[in-house]
Amino acid sequence: MPKKTLSNDIRKLRFERGEMTQQDLADRIGVTRQTVNAIELGKYSPSLEVAFHIAEVFGVPLDQVFHYR
Amino acid sequence: MSFREKSAWISFYSIAIFAVMWFTHIARVEFFHVPENPMLWFFGTLVTVLALEIGLQIWIRIQSPHEARTPKDERERLIDMKASRVAFYVLLVGAFSSIGTMHIPGSNRFTMAQTMMGSILVALLTRFATQIVLHRRDA
Repeated sequence: MPKKTLSNDIRKLRFERGEMTQQDLADRIGVTRQTVNAIELGKYSPSLEVAFHIAEVFGVPLDQVFHYR
Repeated sequence: MSFREKSAWISFYSIAIFAVMWFTHIARVEFFHVPENPMLWFFGTLVTVLALEIGLQIWIRIQSPHEARTPKDERERLIDMKASRVAFYVLLVGAFSSIGTMHIPGSNRFTMAQTMMGSILVALLTRFATQIVLHRRDA
């Protein structure tokens, strides 16, 4: 069975929302800028709570932010 | 460099300075028989290093007030837990090594106490070093 990985479109979504900075997003979801950077680069998988929070900030469903394939 | 990483570096260097100063003193007393008061040295070094660490921690807080006020998030807590787990194993090995010194001919309670002290310091250094590595790797 091929190994699935978690990826995300946070960079694209930030760009679409007027180049929202990592710090802005971090402040809105209550984490540090370094954590947003790690999530964006796929180096850290966030908890469900943070994942839903990110989707809420962008106003899109969770599966439009994170992909498991 | 993030505020948390800077903080870990400061703690790492403080512990390292304390360890070097303390074991230099022990070596002077044990091998060169320099008449120095161990307790005075211990507390003197401890207070000096603590003052240095507190001063530097306050300084970086002033430099990055926003980050300093932000509570640790889930990734930072995970880094702390991973670092503590690695340090625990180091401390465990050190504790058993301290017991092992009892079986070395010529060793005494002093040797055992210093091995234990060394184990604690190495475990602390491991903890902060692991934090630094994880902050860098995941950043």
